[in-house]
Amino acid sequence: MAQNTQPTKAYFPPQLTYKKTQGQAEEAFDENGEVRSHWTYLLDSIKTLGPEALDDRQTKARRILRDDGATYNIHGDEYTPNRTWELDLVPSLISSEEWGKIEAGLLERAEMFNLFLRDIYGARDLIRHSVIPPEALFSHQGFLRACQGINLPGDHDLILHAVDLVRGEDGKMCVLTDRTQAPSGAGYALENRTVMSRVLPSLFRDSHVHRLATFFQKLRSKLASLSLSLDQPRIVVLTPGAHNETYFEHAYLANYLGLHLVQSGDLMVRNGYVWMKSLDGLSRVDVILRRVDDLFCDPVELRSDSQLGVPSLLEVVRAGRVVIANPLGSGILENPIFLKYLPQISKALIGRDLRLKSVPTYWCGDEKDCQYVLDNLDKLVIKPAYRGSGQRSVITDELTTEQRKELVANIKQYPLQFVAQPLMSASQIPTYIDGKLQSRPALLRSFAVASEKSYAVMPGGLTRVGIEQSTFVISNQAGAQSKDTWVIASEPERVGAQDVDESATTVREADLISLPSRVVENLFWMGRYAERAESSLRILRTVFMMLNGETNISDVSKRALLRAVTEVTVTQPGFLEASDEMIGSPEEELMLVVNDPNRMGSVRSNLNAMLNCADESKELLSSDMLRVINDIRDALVELDSALSGGLTSAPEEALDPFVTGLMALAGLTQESMVRGIGWRFMEMGRRLERGMQTTAMIQCLLVPEVSEPDQNVLIQGLLLSLEALISYRRRYRARMGVQSCLDLVMMDTNNPRSLLYQLEQLNNHVSALPRVNETRHELTPEQRAALEVETLVKLTLLTDMSQREDGARQKLDQHLERVTQLLAGISAFISDKYFDHRESSQQLVQSVWENNS
Amino acid sequence: MKYRVKHITEYLYSDSVSHCYNLAHMIPRTTRRQKCTRTDVQVSPSTSFASKREDYFGNMSYHFEIQRRHSELEITVTSDVDTKPQYSEPQLDFGMTVSDARKLLAESKGAELLLAREFSLTSPMVRASDFLREYAAASFAEERPLLSCVMDLTSRIYKEFKYCPESTTVATPLSEVMANKRGVCQDFAHLQIGCLRAMGFPAKYVSGYIETLPPPGQEKLVGADASHAWISVFSPGEGWVEFDPTNNCLAGEQHIITAWGRDYFDVTPLRGTIFGGGENPVLNISVDVARV
Repeated sequence: MAQNTQPTKAYFPPQLTYKKTQGQAEEAFDENGEVRSHWTYLLDSIKTLGPEALDDRQTKARRILRDDGATYNIHGDEYTPNRTWELDLVPSLISSEEWGKIEAGLLERAEMFNLFLRDIYGARDLIRHSVIPPEALFSHQGFLRACQGINLPGDHDLILHAVDLVRGEDGKMCVLTDRTQAPSGAGYALENRTVMSRVLPSLFRDSHVHRLATFFQKLRSKLASLSLSLDQPRIVVLTPGAHNETYFEHAYLANYLGLHLVQSGDLMVRNGYVWMKSLDGLSRVDVILRRVDDLFCDPVELRSDSQLGVPSLLEVVRAGRVVIANPLGSGILENPIFLKYLPQISKALIGRDLRLKSVPTYWCGDEKDCQYVLDNLDKLVIKPAYRGSGQRSVITDELTTEQRKELVANIKQYPLQFVAQPLMSASQIPTYIDGKLQSRPALLRSFAVASEKSYAVMPGGLTRVGIEQSTFVISNQAGAQSKDTWVIASEPERVGAQDVDESATTVREADLISLPSRVVENLFWMGRYAERAESSLRILRTVFMMLNGETNISDVSKRALLRAVTEVTVTQPGFLEASDEMIGSPEEELMLVVNDPNRMGSVRSNLNAMLNCADESKELLSSDMLRVINDIRDALVELDSALSGGLTSAPEEALDPFVTGLMALAGLTQESMVRGIGWRFMEMGRRLERGMQTTAMIQCLLVPEVSEPDQNVLIQGLLLSLEALISYRRRYRARMGVQSCLDLVMMDTNNPRSLLYQLEQLNNHVSALPRVNETRHELTPEQRAALEVETLVKLTLLTDMSQREDGARQKLDQHLERVTQLLAGISAFISDKYFDHRESSQQLVQSVWENNS
Repeated sequence: MKYRVKHITEYLYSDSVSHCYNLAHMIPRTTRRQKCTRTDVQVSPSTSFASKREDYFGNMSYHFEIQRRHSELEITVTSDVDTKPQYSEPQLDFGMTVSDARKLLAESKGAELLLAREFSLTSPMVRASDFLREYAAASFAEERPLLSCVMDLTSRIYKEFKYCPESTTVATPLSEVMANKRGVCQDFAHLQIGCLRAMGFPAKYVSGYIETLPPPGQEKLVGADASHAWISVFSPGEGWVEFDPTNNCLAGEQHIITAWGRDYFDVTPLRGTIFGGGENPVLNISVDVARV
């Protein structure tokens, strides 16, 4: 039945139909232009759903992706470096029957590549027996001689193998590239699936889609099986860091698989083993799932200028004391020159040609091929043989005459470094764009993981579509959209007992055992920056309200309030030595205190710092917390326009979303974070900072001796900033008194914003920190300081505090000064003891040329 | 000839080093014309982990890690080596010709020839370039024996370049060496390797030591012998043959090999990552080659 022939009548709600594009291979249509049977249900469902409903679902999907923090970072995009992952709601469908064939081809290919990898870093028989020319291997920078002889336990050296496939004009799937370095995308595929099953639940359920969870279980158990340790293996995911384009996936996979997410600085080699620096000292690492390119993994033996590696890692690998997947050196298999020789290689290694064909590849290192390439430049994509060389694939008709000449000269001078492939026109797939179903070329990335004697292939994979109908290069860096890929079972799949729900399961084993020091440090500072931003916002809000309020306040009060802004935000000199003029019109300075990103202490810079800490410890934050963090990030983007009216008209409104966001974050820290060590450090940072800020505020507003009306204004300001005005009024009516105010904001432990409340909490957390020597009863320096500061405030005599001498409350001032000192001391003790203080490293020999090769 | 080689490397840091990881190529390898019968490595301060292994090129590499704070690092390697000469000059004039050698290299399916081709390619510190080809061409003629051409090239480098110990560093590029016509053994070796590769022939970088004899009537000074570098070229007829462009000769009994590779990068005597250490560490090297 041809869907597109049905007449549309006026009284039908709008429908979504998909028409075949003439002259193009189509996923949804067969060669006679009929809808393929496994697409019927989907196209019918979408048609009935209509554009309005689909728009709704698309919005919902986008919101879930954003809330999950699913981003893909685009290089060189200054404005939105963390771009939300793009998912098109029309899935790519593959019938079970066809998938069976593709899967068999992928398994065979993975097995063949595994043997190939062994040969490359082993006997190199493929070269000795003249199967491939020596230059095809030896001229490639991905061949790491230092990795000779590394073998993994078990049958496989190649643990993960990903492949990019397109359907060619002949209707057959064809391999464009192999990804063997540190293949990305499996996590995004999982996220896509999670979102699809939530926004189109019935369509998903009724389509009988093969599940993804098994693939990840197999990955987890393969990684565990690589460990040589008899104990519970410690497996980590090594990421280059939050700036990497696929960082979301690193954190997401680490969480899903229950593994630690570490950066190079979290690991070190000692006594011939790899260790993770954690709070309770060093813990041994058995297996590393690597998302850092091999060349960068060890500055001693590989790229010496790398900041992403662990010195001497390779020697530990050689000794078999840590296992890395994929193994160092595996990037060589991505060498596109090999595609030219795959039939011979395959015959030599497994006795037959591969079932899955690869894209025809010409290598300029071969004289005949080179001539062909130069003669047919216009029909080909020219690719650098080595991806890391900074050169990109080029299509010659996009080049100027000048660039073309340069390319030809380059090919002639360095023929070994270039390959060429015909432009493949991928088959088209329906994609929902601008309210219509439009056709776009599709690229499928499949994933295989070593499992038992062979490999396990993820059913489906990650589909990406080109931005234009005629796009040849489909990549996320070029802004491609993604799709979930559904392998449609002919009957509902039996859910095995060990099959877990793929949307909800997040093993949080990582919370229960030790964390990398870096993560803990980031949580501590996240707490501090959040609190610092909140205090600043509160005092600013108070000042705005009072300055613009209906009652005029005196210059003395004004000066004291503005001083407090400077002291609390630590943006000296600010209003400290301000002229009368500046006090008269403080807007310019206040605006800077709110919004100047380059000013330490400004609200914006504190929030930015908090967001950075959140990125670094993302894997420990709950999804609700991530959502709130995203809201704060968005509000920061909006802040400029929110403030564009200046500070004269209700500026507090521009600040309110941040106060709300930070309060929500604080609430979620209490309600949705496991009470592990990470939580404790975040809380500690929060209490410490709030203690310091409260102290500073009291000091600014209550220490100076002023007239009674001014005193009342300042007390009111203090109470307002500490959110205690209402309680105060209920308790003391309208009478403003220093002693009763101090009682409420300093000593009342029923007030969660009082100083003493912070100090009690802080003392509890500090006492609960892990100790190196459990048997000693002597208190640690931070415990002593925490106890001292709590006791000091507890023992406050309010009558002493209100005494005035030489125009100020000297005793109160000294008292609070001591509190500040002790709190600063606690922060320093904690930082020295628990956080990593690495000396910077350098190379004995500066190898300046290695990078040019 | 039997030698005892004592190679002392000392780093004096301006600031203390908390820990470090190093990779040394200082233990002489065994080759067709040399045998290392004994070797002893002393590191101060003491290492927390050390291991010895054979690397990709068959060299002995020595890895060590130090976990105690130090401001001086000293490595002393003492090795007993038994060496033999390789070819003598007259033999060079009757070998395989340049054109035959080139043809065999391109067409032969023999494993040794195929594997040798790795050394004809660009390497981290030696890139093929036109000025190298132009310079080399004067020594080559299609019907002349390959090794005779290489000897000619060796002599030209020896005569046309000035040996100046302070003139270059590890980082000096070949174009500069070529322009200034001066350098040290490492530069001359890289230069000759670049020339040979530009002509299409495999060439290796050989690092090691050379015994220096004192002027007649004088006593030899301990530590005056130098670490040295020369090259090895592959001829399909004769195999790998070592030439020393710094001394205008074939490498002989007095040339003691530590390691070989594509260039200096593969066989750097000591590399590594240190934590701390301050700026401008002072490096002292002393080599003593004694007949035993």
